[in-house]
Amino acid sequence: MDPAEVEFLSEKEIVKIIPNFSLDKIYLIGGDLGPFNPGLPVEVPVWLALNLKQRQKCRIVPPEWMDVEKLEEIRELERKEGTFAPVPSPYYMELTKLLLNHASDNIPKADEIRTLVKDIWDTRIAKLRLSADSFINQQEAHAKLDNLTLMEINTIRSFFLDSLNFMYKLRSNMQPASSKGKAMDY
Amino acid sequence: MAVTQPCNHLPAAYWVPLKSYLISIGEECPKRLKDLLRLTEDAAGVEEEADIVDVYLLFCNNVLSLFEEVVKKLEKNVTTSVDLFSIMDSFRRRLIQRRDDRLYGYLTKQKLQRLSPSDADVARQEFTAFLNHAISYIEKWFDFSEENWLFHLQPLSLASGKISFDDMENITNRLCLVGRLNISMDDLYEECVSANSLLEHLTQEKEAWQSKGTAERWMERGRLCRRRRQLREEEEEEEEEEESFCGGIIKMPCERKPMRYGHSEGHTEVCFDEHGRFIVTCGNDGDVRIWESLDDDDPKFITVGEKAYSLALKNGKLVTASSNNTVQIHTFPEGEPDGILTRFTTNATHVTFNSSGSRVAAGSSDFMVKVVEVSDSSQQKTLRGHEAPVLSVTFDPKEDFLASSSCDGSVVVWNIEEQTQVISWPLLQKTNDVSNAKSLCRLAWQPRGGKFPVDTKVHLYERGTWEHVSTLCDDLLTQPVNVVAWSPCGQFLAAGSVGGALTLWDVNSKLCVERQKHEKGFTVCGLAWHPSGAQIAYTDTEGCLGLLDGLSVSTADSSAPKAAVNKPVKDYDALFDDDDDDRVLDEGLSDTNSPVKRHVAVDEDDDEDDVLIPSTGRVRNRGAILDDENSLDTGSLKLGPDTFRDDDDDTGGAVVPRSVALAPPRPVYEGPMPSAPQKAFQPGSTPAHLTHRFMMWNSVGIVRGYNDEQDNAVDVEFHDTAVHHAMHLTNSLGHTMADISQEAVLLACTSTDELASKLQCLHFSSWDTNKEWMVDLPPGEDARALCLGGGWAAVATSTLMLRLFSIGGVQRDVFSLPGPVVCMVAHGEQLLIVYHRATGFDGEQVLGVQLLQFGRRKRQIMNEPLPLSLRSHLTWLGFTAEGTPCYVDSDGVVRLLNRSLGNTWTPVCNTRETCKSRSDHYWVVGVHENPQQLRCIPCKGSRYPPTLPRPAVAILPFKLPLCQTATEKGQMEEQFLRSVLFHNHYSFLSSSGYEVDEDGQSRSQKEQQELLMKMFALSCKLEREFRSVELAELMTHNVVTLAIRANQIQEEEPEAQDEEPEHKSIRRNSGYDQSEVTGGHHSNRHNQVEEEEQGQELGEEEDGQEMETEETPESRRRLNPFAKEAVSPVQPSLTPIGKVGRANPFKVFGSGKASASSGQSRGTNILDNMTSSRKSAPPGLSAGKPGKSPVLKPLAPRPKSKTQSTLLQMTGTKTANKKPQGNTEPAADQRKQAEVPPPASPADHTDNKRPKTGFQLWLEENRKSIVFDQPDMEETDVIKEAMGRFRTMSAEDRLSWTERAKGQTGDDLKKRKRAGGEDVGSENGREEADESDAKKKKSLDSVSKLSAFAFNKN
Repeated sequence: MDPAEVEFLSEKEIVKIIPNFSLDKIYLIGGDLGPFNPGLPVEVPVWLALNLKQRQKCRIVPPEWMDVEKLEEIRELERKEGTFAPVPSPYYMELTKLLLNHASDNIPKADEIRTLVKDIWDTRIAKLRLSADSFINQQEAHAKLDNLTLMEINTIRSFFLDSLNFMYKLRSNMQPASSKGKAMDY
Repeated sequence: MAVTQPCNHLPAAYWVPLKSYLISIGEECPKRLKDLLRLTEDAAGVEEEADIVDVYLLFCNNVLSLFEEVVKKLEKNVTTSVDLFSIMDSFRRRLIQRRDDRLYGYLTKQKLQRLSPSDADVARQEFTAFLNHAISYIEKWFDFSEENWLFHLQPLSLASGKISFDDMENITNRLCLVGRLNISMDDLYEECVSANSLLEHLTQEKEAWQSKGTAERWMERGRLCRRRRQLREEEEEEEEEEESFCGGIIKMPCERKPMRYGHSEGHTEVCFDEHGRFIVTCGNDGDVRIWESLDDDDPKFITVGEKAYSLALKNGKLVTASSNNTVQIHTFPEGEPDGILTRFTTNATHVTFNSSGSRVAAGSSDFMVKVVEVSDSSQQKTLRGHEAPVLSVTFDPKEDFLASSSCDGSVVVWNIEEQTQVISWPLLQKTNDVSNAKSLCRLAWQPRGGKFPVDTKVHLYERGTWEHVSTLCDDLLTQPVNVVAWSPCGQFLAAGSVGGALTLWDVNSKLCVERQKHEKGFTVCGLAWHPSGAQIAYTDTEGCLGLLDGLSVSTADSSAPKAAVNKPVKDYDALFDDDDDDRVLDEGLSDTNSPVKRHVAVDEDDDEDDVLIPSTGRVRNRGAILDDENSLDTGSLKLGPDTFRDDDDDTGGAVVPRSVALAPPRPVYEGPMPSAPQKAFQPGSTPAHLTHRFMMWNSVGIVRGYNDEQDNAVDVEFHDTAVHHAMHLTNSLGHTMADISQEAVLLACTSTDELASKLQCLHFSSWDTNKEWMVDLPPGEDARALCLGGGWAAVATSTLMLRLFSIGGVQRDVFSLPGPVVCMVAHGEQLLIVYHRATGFDGEQVLGVQLLQFGRRKRQIMNEPLPLSLRSHLTWLGFTAEGTPCYVDSDGVVRLLNRSLGNTWTPVCNTRETCKSRSDHYWVVGVHENPQQLRCIPCKGSRYPPTLPRPAVAILPFKLPLCQTATEKGQMEEQFLRSVLFHNHYSFLSSSGYEVDEDGQSRSQKEQQELLMKMFALSCKLEREFRSVELAELMTHNVVTLAIRANQIQEEEPEAQDEEPEHKSIRRNSGYDQSEVTGGHHSNRHNQVEEEEQGQELGEEEDGQEMETEETPESRRRLNPFAKEAVSPVQPSLTPIGKVGRANPFKVFGSGKASASSGQSRGTNILDNMTSSRKSAPPGLSAGKPGKSPVLKPLAPRPKSKTQSTLLQMTGTKTANKKPQGNTEPAADQRKQAEVPPPASPADHTDNKRPKTGFQLWLEENRKSIVFDQPDMEETDVIKEAMGRFRTMSAEDRLSWTERAKGQTGDDLKKRKRAGGEDVGSENGREEADESDAKKKKSLDSVSKLSAFAFNKN
């Protein structure tokens, strides 16, 4: 799974928009959307919101958590806690990126939010690296991944699994004396 | 008989104790009274007997005085349960003592000696018996043993000034406090020790201590030490038990009211107006707000600049220091600018009035202090000498001096006249700017003397000698004190600190009386006493306003009993003073005990020229209500020798001014006060003084106004960009009012000195090149309110005129309004005007509402008073999207016009109910009836939304304020009533010739019927049969039958009783007739056909029922014709119009029909076209999703009809299927061929002579769909195809069609027979049918359409 796929999944999240056109309900495979009344908030998936926004057909209402104060709180919590704190949305990073890239004019204090979310992300990734490090150091067999988002898991997955595999290989080669010669190759 | 003389008065004088005695002796009472009276009677006759009476009365007097004393003690409100035991115990002891000593009072003793020995013996015996009785009585009702817990509570009275730990232990054990409150005994011990050390200090003033009540003693102790709460808790625990015994409890001295949002973040200040009616605050947002109370949700405000640094208020003049480096005056409370008092080179930091209000002192950041005469601002005195920004300034009460503090660290006293420094103290830390100063270092002169600069402690200096007198401090006060304020009486000093602590000192005792902590710990930067001394208002740097209440209550409470104990006379004085007009009264000399103050007081007596009160001398603070006479006793009591003299002064002082005060009686009007009429406003706009504001927010778009230094502009934005693109206009004319519609934007400005009031219209939908016109109003006439209707514009002016323009700029009309306009809205051809009818009183507004209709028939629909919630004003007025007038008042109640109930107003929603906090509001922007939506913007902590960030619209549901909406019944009733109310607009629209959204109409009718069914079922379940009948009367016929059926099935199972069917048929019949009435105004034909259908479907059993109950329906019918006749005349006029293809321009574009509107035709939305094309797609396709959109009759066999387990189900599915099918067809008709003549009557009537087959019937319905599928088919081919399709249907379906065909004719005949001449509705229908017979035969195609229409549900 690459980040693009995760981003694709995040586009299914629901976001509120204020359309500037009027349209009856539309019936889609994923469910009905609308009706769209100009000036009245309506909930749509992110992909539609962005599409409409790009066509200047709506304003996007930022999700509730996309607020400087709330994010600051979350950041503090994240910094304070040793474990991963709950995130405001399972796709917080993706949504921030999508919405801020496409609709930064609809989101108050967009820059601050970008910085805050980046801070949260950095803190969490640092934690993730640390815990991965200790995971390997202490040769643990399993780890708990509470409150980790898909994107975060995704960033570390390929590297982590590969290295675990590799280490496994190294270890299994080390043990039998016969394969010692093979290990020398590395 | 000099001695006997008082005896006659004694019973009267001692009536209260006598009464309690008589009550206390209970059953004995009559006997004793008789004894007494016998004696008295005898006394009347026999001369020497009088002595005996005297003896008895004297004895009574003596004993009862004992009783009285005790009762008084017990009634005292300082008496606590702790004192109870000792009071009772001493009482008992005294009684016993008397009995044992055989002393019945000295006078009695003397009398007894004079009596004959035998008489005396008898008397003595009786007296002893009485005492015995009294003692035993007391012992009976009061437990004197040591087991009584009251006995153990005695040590808590602190009378001895010591608390022994053993006692406390005993008490805690006895009350089981350890278990209940988790009291740690070790802590308790600590507490006892520390309390004892404190008490030692307190009991030094022995006299005062002893005279205090228990509660006070504890309070004293509490003041000294509040750090530990354990003992208090214990005490509170006891209090609960005490309450049944006595009311004397220890009160928390004051109440801290919750803070509320006042201003934006930053420095704020607060003061009271001199009558204490308003709290006035200023803050960083440049507003001065006038709060009527802390709960005032909508304070008046005066904008004084961009920022307001300081304010002072006196004599109706409001002086503010604002950011444009000036000190301005505004009138108060109107807020009109009254000139600029003085200017500085930079902003002023603090302004203050002198006590008379004639001068203002202002300190500024440019190091200067200026003293300016209010009346003549050229008379200035400048005080130079500070070397840094001035922090605060304050006038000496006598106005000789002025004190100022500055960032250079000095506190300087100036001589104002000579403009020289008198003395300077380097007390503060040096800083370079006010914003960096650790403390604002507000100074304050005691109303009668001393003076205070501030630090972490409060220093007190003496006026004149300028010596440091004392320091007030508090160990809890760790951060610098920011502000100080004297109580109006000058005895208490309040201080607010940077850390948010509020401290109150009694200056005489230097004790901290009260300590409160700011609820969030923000810096307190403004502090003001209520003139009565009862409240302190404070503000913090976060812009919040708080209030400490009940201060005077506590001080008066604590001192009143003392006064009562020592000097009853004085107490009366105090009482009298309270009643009197306190403004003129000034109790001056009562506080001359304090050496500091006496010094000043003497000083002042000489030079007070406006002396009203010779003896007391000072009318310093006219606004002050001095209730401190009692509180000042603390001081007087301490200084024993002074007390007496003081007392004299007091009485003298109190009496003399009273006569003075009464001599010139001021004409005071005390009735209800007229309320200020609310100003004209545009509904959907935010106040005009805002620099960024909404000039209009309605369902079409938003008009925003910007009015700041660099830009004065108007932004117009449309919700639907298809209407028009956004516009940006420069607002060079200074427009303040705006309205926006689908056609135009209307702007208006008021007149200025040079320019007349102008009306500007941007007619963007005009098809020529001139998109704009402008009109000047006549000189002297100002636009007050304006609105845009469909094709016209209206403006109401200050001369009570209403001017009507066409949208192109033609003046169409002008008429006078009945009163000053409040606001005005338009919708299509309707114009709604709200105006002032009269002056309201006590906050009420007296508004009237006028509804006019233009267009072809111009008329006034109503002109009535507008109902508002109590003490509220109008905040929004508008029409629903469907055209029903609607408004919102400041209480958040939304009311909707109920056209069906003689244009009454029904409250449909209370937006305040959904608010989370008291200061939150909803700002309404639109109301929709279908769907039921109240569109509004939630405003947190304000009434209006800010322009940035752009607010989002929220939707609130409606809720009629019906009773018991918590119950299922109430809920359904509410839903039903609401549905009916919001259904009214259909009949209005159709009556005014607009196209009606029939989908919505039938949906809401269905909903109503469903609700009725549910309510019916509910009341049946509750066996409320009468109510069921009532409900059934509201139902349409077919629903009634369904209801019957449902009920029957329900009851057949548990063996139906005989009388049941009878009931039902009554219901049915009543409903039958009623259905014509209720359904009549929609379409009579529909009902009729439906009845026929129903009749046919229900078949024979109905007939059977009818036979059984023939008499009953007849009797009922006799009642009903009345109702029918009332309705029937309306029908002909209503029904044809409904079909005229006039488009309703206000219809919600919910469905595909929207493409017809002008806005849509401009639009480039592909999806729109999609929907409309989908609508017209062949029915075969749409049949795939029958649930979603209205579908033509599906060809596939219906699975449900196979499983006809009950009749109910069958009829249920049938009606369900029929409804959508009927609905779409007329709609489609309209769209496709608008020229079709009004379909007049169901086809069935044409076939009266030859009965139809089921197939024919079916064909009629489905023919269109066949034709639709294959449009090029010939007539014969169509029939062939139809035959084929009919065969593919299931047998049951076919059968039902045949049955229907039979029933139709049969039922028709039957009904006519039965209903006879009375069935006016059906007659009507038939007449119509006959008339249109000719048309009917025009083409088979139209016949099929019509018959399909006939099945349309109403």
